[in-house]
Amino acid sequence: MHRPEKLLGMSDLSMHGHMELNGNREAVVEGCSGVLEYDETVVRIRTPGQVVRFTGRGLSIRCLTADALVVAGYITGIEFLG
Amino acid sequence: MFSLKLTRWLIGFARFSVRGGSPERFYTSCARKGIYLWDISAGKTTSVCVAARSYRALRPLARRAGCRLKVLEKRGLPFLLYRTRGHMGLWAGGAVFLAIVFVLSLRVWCVQITGECPYPTAEVENALAAEGLSRGVWKSSVDPRILASRMMLKFPDIRWMSINMHGCEAEIAVRKKIQKPEIADFSGFCNIKASATGQVLSMKVYAGTPVVQKGDAVVKDQLLVNAVVEDQLGGNTLVHASAEIIAETSRDLTVRVNLKQPKTIPTGKTVFRRNLNLFGARIPLSLFGKPAGSWNISRSESSVSLFGTVLPLSVYEEKWEETRVAETVLTKQQALTAAKQEADRQIKELLGSGKVISEKSEEKWESSALVKTIHLTCEENIAQESAIFIKTG
Repeated sequence: MHRPEKLLGMSDLSMHGHMELNGNREAVVEGCSGVLEYDETVVRIRTPGQVVRFTGRGLSIRCLTADALVVAGYITGIEFLG
Repeated sequence: MFSLKLTRWLIGFARFSVRGGSPERFYTSCARKGIYLWDISAGKTTSVCVAARSYRALRPLARRAGCRLKVLEKRGLPFLLYRTRGHMGLWAGGAVFLAIVFVLSLRVWCVQITGECPYPTAEVENALAAEGLSRGVWKSSVDPRILASRMMLKFPDIRWMSINMHGCEAEIAVRKKIQKPEIADFSGFCNIKASATGQVLSMKVYAGTPVVQKGDAVVKDQLLVNAVVEDQLGGNTLVHASAEIIAETSRDLTVRVNLKQPKTIPTGKTVFRRNLNLFGARIPLSLFGKPAGSWNISRSESSVSLFGTVLPLSVYEEKWEETRVAETVLTKQQALTAAKQEADRQIKELLGSGKVISEKSEEKWESSALVKTIHLTCEENIAQESAIFIKTG
């Protein structure tokens, strides 16, 4: 049995979003579908298939659009939660 | 980054705080609605930025998330313009200003000549003005190609001219023509005759048959080099004779200097007439007209430049100095100096590239003039071409 995303020709990358880190100061997440938790020490966001949790100090969301988000601050950890 | 900030400022944005409820849910709803948020800070003083036109759409989303929004500040051009809504004069002034700037930008305000111009700048500028390029003309009325061609025809010593329009400035790039060397005319046949009486010192015969020798005494119009050349077989050929015959000659010059001479003397009265040239318009700064009498006029124009660009602002000044004609009597020394200057001028004109070996002068003082007679011994080229006309047919 084929998975629907395989049938539609979608890659694994597009199904799980795309994340880019600039050191530990900035993370650009493409394919973000919502903010679940947000304060200065934790930013938890929903991406297709999983939840990503950024921890650190002085975190802020620099910009937020329908499918992308930029987290800035001093990032000390990134967790991928099923 | 600057362009992003500028764009945000141009479209206008609002910074607002989010209190109570679930801010996360509010942010997610905004993102899903396609509302772009930036600078979302967390903590006690939560603040978010949004484009001014999107702020109204946030209200229902905030209500659904149980949040209360409060505008902290409004920034950008739309808010700045909104503040001036009651001042119609300001808007009218702005519109008039823009209209003036637009109209002025359609004209030429500066004509600058660059490069090596073999003619005086004022002369070229006057010719350009006559052809339709001067300060204040419409840029659309100037066809740089045709104008450059016309100017090159008018000024034969200009090799090429390019007229480049940089905004309101017309740059006239000029290149000087390199003069061609004169080509000696060797067409036709001619003999070489003596242009003056003298003794031959040296001879350089380039073509023809010499009929005199070094050391010979020759008289004016005597044949020096014959155009007929005889070859080894006894045949004759006519050539264009060419030679340099240096001879020692004697010349007499007479210079007459009148002791009483009319001289233009300034009376000391000076009048200045000034005009202010602003955007091609001449605004007179002096209110009196052309004074009567005899005057010496000197003109000057000082332009204002900014960073090397001449601005359409200059002051034109005419200096009028009153003069009168008075008869002055030359002193002995002054008369001698004048006679010498005149003699030097005549010698230069007479000898050309020749030189004076020795000179003897006699001065005769008359009641109203000095007559100076100079006997010169010179070294000069006496070769003079004398054409031979051959009738054919």
